Amino acid sequence: MGRSNDILLAVENLKVHFTGDGPVARAVDGMDFQIHRRETVCIVGESGCGKTVTALAILGLLKQPPAIIADGRITFDGRSLLDMPAAELRALRGKRIAMVFQEPMTSLNPVFPIGDQIGEAVLAHERVSEVAVRRRVNQLLDDVGIVDPQRRLGDYPHQLSGGQRQRVMIAMALACEPDLIIADEPTTALDVTVQAQILGLLKKLKQEKNMAIQYITHDLGVVAAIADQVYVMYAGVVVEQGTTGIIFGNARHPYTVALLNALPTKKKRGRRLYSIPGSVPHPAYRPMGCPFHPRCEYCEPSCQNAFPALCDYGKGHHARCPILFAARGRAEETRA
Amino acid sequence: MISKVTPLLRVEALKKYFPVRRGFLQQVGGCVRAVDGVDLEIQPKQTLGLVGESGCGKSTVARLIMRLLTPDGGTVRFDGREITVLNERAFKPLRKQIQMIFQDPYSSLNPRMTVAQTISDGVRMAGIKGKSDQRKRIRQLLEMVGMPVASAGRYPHEFSGGQRQRVGIARALSVSPQLILCDEPISALDVSIQAQIINLLKDLQAELGLSYLFISHDLNVVSYICDHVCVMYRGRIVESAPASDLFDHPCHPYTLRLLAAVPETTEVGWSPQVGAGSQRAPLPDGCAFGDQCPDCHDDCVIEPPAMVRVGGQHYVRCWNATRRQCSAADPEGRH
Repeated sequence: MGRSNDILLAVENLKVHFTGDGPVARAVDGMDFQIHRRETVCIVGESGCGKTVTALAILGLLKQPPAIIADGRITFDGRSLLDMPAAELRALRGKRIAMVFQEPMTSLNPVFPIGDQIGEAVLAHERVSEVAVRRRVNQLLDDVGIVDPQRRLGDYPHQLSGGQRQRVMIAMALACEPDLIIADEPTTALDVTVQAQILGLLKKLKQEKNMAIQYITHDLGVVAAIADQVYVMYAGVVVEQGTTGIIFGNARHPYTVALLNALPTKKKRGRRLYSIPGSVPHPAYRPMGCPFHPRCEYCEPSCQNAFPALCDYGKGHHARCPILFAARGRAEETRA
Repeated sequence: MISKVTPLLRVEALKKYFPVRRGFLQQVGGCVRAVDGVDLEIQPKQTLGLVGESGCGKSTVARLIMRLLTPDGGTVRFDGREITVLNERAFKPLRKQIQMIFQDPYSSLNPRMTVAQTISDGVRMAGIKGKSDQRKRIRQLLEMVGMPVASAGRYPHEFSGGQRQRVGIARALSVSPQLILCDEPISALDVSIQAQIINLLKDLQAELGLSYLFISHDLNVVSYICDHVCVMYRGRIVESAPASDLFDHPCHPYTLRLLAAVPETTEVGWSPQVGAGSQRAPLPDGCAFGDQCPDCHDDCVIEPPAMVRVGGQHYVRCWNATRRQCSAADPEGRH
């Protein structure tokens, strides 16, 4: 696509396994994706598909053991994160890559005022005066839309609403003007109206601060609203990737198609909802071949033995399934 | 709200205030009006949706109907019979008629009980005597919710979230209820599983003639499954209408805001048009939504609006409702 020099983060063939008493759980099993500068990339998938583990692996936050990074490379701005010494990674984390977590109440410290907590993020990376930090925190709270920040600096997390807490988390992530924000389901615990505010805020801040965002979610509506590029994950791998328009307009992987069909909407009233049979496979007991084949209505015998490679459908659109495309082609031929 | 058929459940002016205790001595310093005069009706074999944001009182309404909480005012009539005044003994047979399904299938099943044990309490309560008859009924219930019969002897941890929710539904069905209160029954489930449970609920409704109170914050699900929808805000119903009217011609400013905030897969690149919320203080005497409302005027500050009919079965609690163009599809209904 001619943007290869613009790549901020590249994850190649990442494999994260968890060992314990039982069999090895292959949480992430050959994950590939890229984030360009100033791009919003959505990683979509159901619980247990490895989205959060991927994010934690990027930030070096996985506890090893039980986690093992079995294979793969993570390159951020040309440097390998997996080989980086702990001290260097610590300097990078928060400064150039910041994370926003799902539950703002458990990610904020309940015994410190929010102003101190945001200031701490600044002081961890920069040598600045007390006064400068205060001014900066003030500005950050203002940026994330907290009214009258001067007065709210001394507030404790419990004095804020869920939406305000998530704004504080975002302010903290923005503290050192990072190149990349990883947001792991930042609006899942919030009401729709508050979710809309936070999505609008992230969109605005991305423009103003020239950031890239890796947005992790299971909500396809949110993806449509915020993403430039979408990666659909199933059972630890990317099964389909493409621009937002392509994924929602012309999906080629049966899993993506099934997810979109299974969403209840007003238009589908009175009709039976399409439902995907079975359930998400456990990371330690994934089926042979394509992991989606036991639930797939387009499944062919070959799917049980081999997991198809990514098929290139043009314009950066890839899906790990040649069958749906071929089946649609046949259907169109017979119609013609 | 007048209707021709006798509703299965009629709730009128239901109130629940929770005391707020403050300070070292835990003195009562005020109260939270969790449910502040709620009216609703559920018709036989119909699904009533109750939507609103967290903390608006939706779950409290369900708990009051179930008598898990005692109301501070108002009446709940089930099949024409007032149930808030009944004592525990008189209420017991009615409790079989109203059952509940919970949000979190992980915490709502006893981990030490097998699936059969979980369901068998209800089967016994339903008056089925004799071990073999009970076993037969348990098998039948499991088949109804699409669980393999072999799962009867297994424990909840062996199942996925969707399967556990099916067990929860089987438990609710074990006493052959007429009304099931579903409190966010699918929001803890994976996206690919949600459709399975929605279809199951619809199938069971058709098969057994059940009525549902469907509590949810997911407006897409509500628009799909519900016949009638009530929108709740700060303890009150602000809009009540048949689902098609509500979603096609929303009238209350809060409903409009809720609908505008739902991200749709059909709107790629949608930008939310919602501000940071108002910073005005809540109006002490006026409309509960007044401090947030873009159309708030003098009347709204002085007195809380009453429910007004804007057409058909469409009611709105807003002083501006008659002025706004609501229920455009139903011009005859508007008088």
